[in-house]
Amino acid sequence: MITPLKALRKNRFKTALIFISMSVSISAIFLISAISGGVVSMYSAMLKTDGDIIVTQKGIADTFFSDINRSFAEPIAKMDGVKEVSALILGAAPVEPLPIVGIYGVSEGRFNSYHLTQGRYPKRGEVLLGSKIDATLKHPSAIVLSKKTFHVSGVFKSKIGFEDGGVVMGLDDGGELFHKSTSIFLVSLNDLSKSDAVLKEIGMLGSDLEAKTTDSFIDSYNQFKIIKTSSDVIGAMAFLMGILGIVSMMSMVVNDRKGEFGIMRSIGLSPSVIIFKLLSETLIIALLAFAVAWGVSEGVLELIKHADKFQGYINGEITAILLVKVFVVSVVMALIGTLMPAIYASRIDPMSLIQKGGA
Amino acid sequence: MKIVATGLEHYYGHEQVLRGIELSIEPGSFTAIIGESGSGKTTLLSILSTLLRPSKGDVTYDAKALSQWGSIDAFRRRHIGFVFQFHYLISYLTLRENIALAAMGEFHDQIDPLMARLGIERLGMRYSDEVSGGERQRAAIARSLINRPSVVFADEPTGNLDTKNALGVYELFREFSREDTTFIVASHDKKIADFADTIIEMEDGVVKNISKR
Ligand SMILES: Nc1ncnc2c1ncn2[C@@H]1O[C@H](COP(=O)(O)OP(=O)(O)OP(=O)(O)O)[C@@H](O)[C@H]1O
Ligand SMILES: [Mg+2]
Repeated sequence: MITPLKALRKNRFKTALIFISMSVSISAIFLISAISGGVVSMYSAMLKTDGDIIVTQKGIADTFFSDINRSFAEPIAKMDGVKEVSALILGAAPVEPLPIVGIYGVSEGRFNSYHLTQGRYPKRGEVLLGSKIDATLKHPSAIVLSKKTFHVSGVFKSKIGFEDGGVVMGLDDGGELFHKSTSIFLVSLNDLSKSDAVLKEIGMLGSDLEAKTTDSFIDSYNQFKIIKTSSDVIGAMAFLMGILGIVSMMSMVVNDRKGEFGIMRSIGLSPSVIIFKLLSETLIIALLAFAVAWGVSEGVLELIKHADKFQGYINGEITAILLVKVFVVSVVMALIGTLMPAIYASRIDPMSLIQKGGA
Repeated sequence: MKIVATGLEHYYGHEQVLRGIELSIEPGSFTAIIGESGSGKTTLLSILSTLLRPSKGDVTYDAKALSQWGSIDAFRRRHIGFVFQFHYLISYLTLRENIALAAMGEFHDQIDPLMARLGIERLGMRYSDEVSGGERQRAAIARSLINRPSVVFADEPTGNLDTKNALGVYELFREFSREDTTFIVASHDKKIADFADTIIEMEDGVVKNISKR
């Protein structure tokens, strides 16, 4: 039927307001979810590169604070089912003019997980640069970290934004820089069914060690929980704001259109038919707002991705799942926003509706 | 359809505007409700036509309470036509779409003949603010008649019409009335008495007199 479109055109000012408020809140939900999801998935992807098991210091709040003895790598490597153990130092330091850059000290075995685009892997006193930071610093031949100069031996490209905006060096240099033996071990297995046994053995190796499968580590990682919770909270708030906006706008619309609904009731249209008409109007708006918000969000994410300021650290993606989730949220927003005022109005006698509002 | 009202009272807030109305309307009759402004004609008509719930009292339709008819919406659609004191067409729909919105499926092919009968067949594509007051009112009347309802309620249907058009509307009502539709028309207009077979006089919320011809 064309009636919903006609009704929307008649109420075009309020239609526009509802459309804008929906677009804004849907974009907010898209962006906050995509960006926080991006941070989590980048970091998880980094840990998952040859890591079935992660070993950290027991009871630390963040991998940045973890400090374990490198020499445990050897006994772990000998355990049944273990393919390879690599040590990784996770640190951060300023690199002029950037205020903070991720620094990765890695054992030699792990170098080959960085895809070189030029140069060679670093020796002592040398570093690899991610392609993003290399571009930001305009292809330097050396960088200074904690007053020490490191030569750039090569550049690598990584899909993981953290790494692409970071600096990679040997484990020894990393250890000196951050005064620790190593931060974590990434243990890869030949045989995933052995993982429980390996976890147990590592636990017995030293009272200071904590081993988890990468998946359970990621699930329980505090930083991720904080990011996820805050994004959920902000997302929920955007959702509520959206609903409130629509409810208040729709109650104005319903109020304006009391007379019209009264007439519809008087000619025998049931409240459900009227609510359905109103719903089809809001659903049209919701679908348009969803489409526009999707487009806007993709645009904003693309801009962020290429903004030098963020060095690729912020890298959100609108996944199919997110798309479906937000779509459902948009429809629910429209449903609740319409049903509440419409049901309220449908309880009033037609004559009272007609007397209270014109057509 | 026979309509019987017993002990009808109605309040707007604390103000009582109907004070114990008893009346009975015969099927196929043409009833006029007359009375001064504020005497309660619109209120009574709204209650009899199911558009307003009375504060007190009952109305039966063919000896059945409204609740026994099943869905109130279906009952309205099938049995009740209402012509309001002001036309009350939906402004974003054309005259024809307004009539079609009310029409039940089997009456859709009656829309054009009925519009022709009311002399508005050429105005179907126009919106209500693009036609004259009389034309609007005729569209509203067409809407009330389209489903061949058992009862048509009309509240000052000729209030905005000149004498010639007003007589035309009453003639039309009488024609339909001969085809077995019951008409209940509220009006100040004493001319209505020439068409009605029953005249109910209202005064200050009570029925002062009922006369039959
Ligand atoms: N929605 C309302 N709220 C409060 N009072 C109302 C309302 N509708 C009508 N009234 C009052 O109820 C009384 C009867 O009103 P009603 O409209 O039934 O009279 P009427 O006979 O149709 O008058 P008119 O000939 O002017 O149309 C009047 O005093 C009026 O002021
Ligand atoms: Mg009146």
